[in-house]
Amino acid sequence: MGDSQSRRLEERLAREGVRILALIALALIQATLLLTPLGFALPLLVVLVVSRILVGLATPFPDSELSYALRWAIYGGLTLDLLTASPLGVHALALLLAALLVILATRRLQLGGPLIPLLAVLLATLIYEISLALLTQPLPLEWFSYSRFVILPTTLLALILTLPIYITMRWVLGMRTDRD
Amino acid sequence: MRDLLDDKPLKLRRERVAAPTSARPILLALVLCVLVALLLALGSQGWLDPVRAGLQRVLAPPAQWLTSMRDDVAGWFAGPWGDAALRERVAELERENSRLNEALIRHEQAHVENVFLRQQLAIQRERPWQLLGAEVAVRAPDAGRRVMLLSRGTRDGVQPGMAVIGQNPGGPAGLVGIVETVNSHTAEVLLLTDVGSQISGRVLHEGRATIGLVQGQWQRGSRLRLMQVERAMNLAVDAPVVTAGLTAVLELPFALAAVPANIPIGTIEYFETIEQYQQAELRPFVDTDQVRYVWVILSQDG
Repeated sequence: MGDSQSRRLEERLAREGVRILALIALALIQATLLLTPLGFALPLLVVLVVSRILVGLATPFPDSELSYALRWAIYGGLTLDLLTASPLGVHALALLLAALLVILATRRLQLGGPLIPLLAVLLATLIYEISLALLTQPLPLEWFSYSRFVILPTTLLALILTLPIYITMRWVLGMRTDRD
Repeated sequence: MRDLLDDKPLKLRRERVAAPTSARPILLALVLCVLVALLLALGSQGWLDPVRAGLQRVLAPPAQWLTSMRDDVAGWFAGPWGDAALRERVAELERENSRLNEALIRHEQAHVENVFLRQQLAIQRERPWQLLGAEVAVRAPDAGRRVMLLSRGTRDGVQPGMAVIGQNPGGPAGLVGIVETVNSHTAEVLLLTDVGSQISGRVLHEGRATIGLVQGQWQRGSRLRLMQVERAMNLAVDAPVVTAGLTAVLELPFALAAVPANIPIGTIEYFETIEQYQQAELRPFVDTDQVRYVWVILSQDG
């Protein structure tokens, strides 16, 4: 009995460790390989976290699935913090706030079709970028130009990524369901 | 992407039933937000610096490797592919390159270092600066903040406030940014083009010089702006702007005291007069998105 409990605990710790490594790798990819000619990276982690939330909401265990998404936000955000000059926690907080608002906005919605993922990523990217601006930029901020040159391009890039990532994630997890 | 670690098999519903999620994930998100805010508060006090430095030390090598890989791929795609003559020339150079590769491969690292050191020497001959070469490990991953991470730190003598210069092919060595924070093995540089970057600059034109404030404008849609230039000064397009080094001259105890005067910043692209002052848009000498190798100015007495 005790052995099986300790084995289960070890398994959970190992899974958490692999999850952390996976998110570190994804954040590294975002910060290095996904730099665009615009001078900044594709917002991969925002789209992944939002997609994870939406896919999680469509399962019989949305609570635990959403907790995975929140952990993705924490691990990915902290890694981004380490890769930039921002204080430790800035990206994680921005991602968490974005995830929180997406959960609040979508938890009672019918998740069918491409519109909800697109709207969710739109909302999340806006929250994420506004949070980052408030946490890292010197105030007062020129919101008009900041929106035009930072928030708008990032949001468009996020929207381009959304459907491929959301559909792939849903398909991969659906395949897994079939196999199980 | 697949969450291999999920404890339970996922069963995707084709249609959402009316039963929504409980409040648990929302509470969890709020608790995590509070914890991260606490982390931010602790970090602002400097309590997390050793942990942060250790983790950055671990992340810097893979980040640097991925960045250089990405640069190589981008450089390959940026080559001249549209013109037949250029393609032939590229092919010829590639053949020549492959012949040379055999000899170069044993000394590749030494060769790269040699190139950078030659550049460094050339700069040091012209300027009284003691330089430290550094590879760019990570460039700005966010649109909102223009920073780069260098693979040099306090163990190499890097301190906050030091100027970082770079050089694009065919251009002069120019200011890239200022070291903002340093750990033992890495340094974070706030790029000159970031809106939070401000430094005193001197415009040189017709044997006269005047002081202004150079501020980054990347988040506002351009690159650099020179502000607060006296109206009496005749500005001109293409006039060079260099650092004024005012903090260093006045020996003020500010971080920017480490920035020497006369580091090239850029040239005037356009200027206008607003009330008592003039302001100008600048074209920086160094494209911060293109530099792969930079130098930290450790001191001015070389």
